[in-house]
Amino acid sequence: MRRYLRLFAVQLRASIELALQYRVDFFVGGAMALFWLFWNLVPMVVVWGRRPTIAGWGFWEALLVVAWFTLLRGVLEGAVQPSLVQVVEHIRKGTLDFVLIKPADAQFLVSTARFEPWRGLDSLGAIALAVYALHRLGRVPAPGEVAIALLLTIAACALLYAFAILVVSAAFWVVRLDNLIYLFNSVFDAGRWPSTVFQGAWRVLFTFVVPLALMTTYPPLALLGRLKVSTAIAGLAGAVAFVTMARLIWLRAIGHYTSASS
Amino acid sequence: MPEPLIEVDALTKEYRVHERAPGVVAALASVLRRKYKIARAVDALSFSIGAGERVGFLGPNGAGKTTTLKVLSGLLHPTSGTVRVAGFDPRRREHPFLRNITLVMGQKQQLLWDLPPADTFILNRAIYDLPEREYQETLGELTELLERGDLAERPTRQLSLGERMKCELVAALLHRPKVLFLDEPTIGLDVSMQVTLRDFIRRYNERFGATVLLTSHYMDDVTALCPRVIVIDKGRLTYDGDLQALAHRVRPHKRVRVRREDGREETVDVPQSELKARVTQLLAERGIADLTVEDPPLEEVMRELFMEKRTTT
Repeated sequence: MRRYLRLFAVQLRASIELALQYRVDFFVGGAMALFWLFWNLVPMVVVWGRRPTIAGWGFWEALLVVAWFTLLRGVLEGAVQPSLVQVVEHIRKGTLDFVLIKPADAQFLVSTARFEPWRGLDSLGAIALAVYALHRLGRVPAPGEVAIALLLTIAACALLYAFAILVVSAAFWVVRLDNLIYLFNSVFDAGRWPSTVFQGAWRVLFTFVVPLALMTTYPPLALLGRLKVSTAIAGLAGAVAFVTMARLIWLRAIGHYTSASS
Repeated sequence: MPEPLIEVDALTKEYRVHERAPGVVAALASVLRRKYKIARAVDALSFSIGAGERVGFLGPNGAGKTTTLKVLSGLLHPTSGTVRVAGFDPRRREHPFLRNITLVMGQKQQLLWDLPPADTFILNRAIYDLPEREYQETLGELTELLERGDLAERPTRQLSLGERMKCELVAALLHRPKVLFLDEPTIGLDVSMQVTLRDFIRRYNERFGATVLLTSHYMDDVTALCPRVIVIDKGRLTYDGDLQALAHRVRPHKRVRVRREDGREETVDVPQSELKARVTQLLAERGIADLTVEDPPLEEVMRELFMEKRTTT
């Protein structure tokens, strides 16, 4: 365990060095991170500008959802996707062999290979948004509510990671992955809206198939004191099951790779 | 012979390859109904290698060399047959096994492209969980063996191919593996760099008693490094033994070069049995400025070996 923590630190350090290596990239990276932070607010300002509530969500409540969306998009684009892109490169160039002959868990090695440190700004911005929204609502969440929101957020990060692992596993069979990543990003974009805004098949899709509800709607609901404990528990259990499934599929995919590639 | 460190018994590796005729119609048909054919890359191959040996693994393109190396390092699973390396079954890829081996591929690199090689070294240090002192010691020794200087400080992408390959070797050897699988480690390098790497591999082998299995298209690599060669063709074992003996078997001739005083040069291939008489006769001639007797180049030996094989099968 300590060894993996150290390994994680080494990988993270390399990514930070990389971010610092090109001066222009460094400043552009920072500016882009700030830009996205504000851009995320535009659609909701437009929509809520015309009506006070949508499906029971007022502006400041919906802002909490946007905060979680921003946070998770930072995690997705800052910690999950960069590594994913690297694995796809590895598979295409055949250099995954070097990863597989290392005496460490291959999934760990590939999924910590690259980070975009600038996306850390997203998390800071998200926290600021959430605090401001709660302030405007005049609500101070109870410690238990904060704890549930935190747990759900960790589960949400794990879910994002599991999705990425599934996409990477698919890369062992399908070579072109750009479309799959693009599709996932487009679907994830729906997470900026509270899940109850969607109806019928869409709500089922975003709750059970791509659990955006758990990722971006449940934690704010917990802070607002409107999430049932049973829903939170079901969400956490679902996340654990999903992550386990992703791990199993990854192991199968690696098995497939080693017996089929040349 | 020392106790075998690598044992390969009746190893067969087959691939299922999808085949289709050229053209759009055939491409469309293949989407709906795929035809597969079984390609046998390695066919009932058996050999064993003792600890500390340096063995050259030779064969024409597509002979199954890389496939065999990948099976030995656990990257591919055998279709049938058994393989043991340092007492382990490679396909299980157990960590103690992986700590004992390394794989260097001249065509692929593990160094992080945008960062200096030193960062890859640090990463590998963390992966192999090497204590700081041992790491510094090995790094110092490898650096010294390679006359590597300060290459590790510049980003990999700014290094020349030769410099990069040196650093690749350092990255691959930091954990002091007992078994080295080297797949074309000198490919694309200029002659002096080839010599440097060759010397390095030999010195590493001598200093750490490591076992080396090397494939190369440069026969000089093999001649300089490997007293023993294993030759395969179409996945089958063609020859396993002493390199010199192979040369004698395939080409029982010596090559005699003569330079005359007027500057003309001649080369004649003379059977071993007639060598003495022929040389005596040549030396007795007038106007001979220089005379050398040498073995035919290994390239020619190999070419002849594979031709001979093709015509007899």
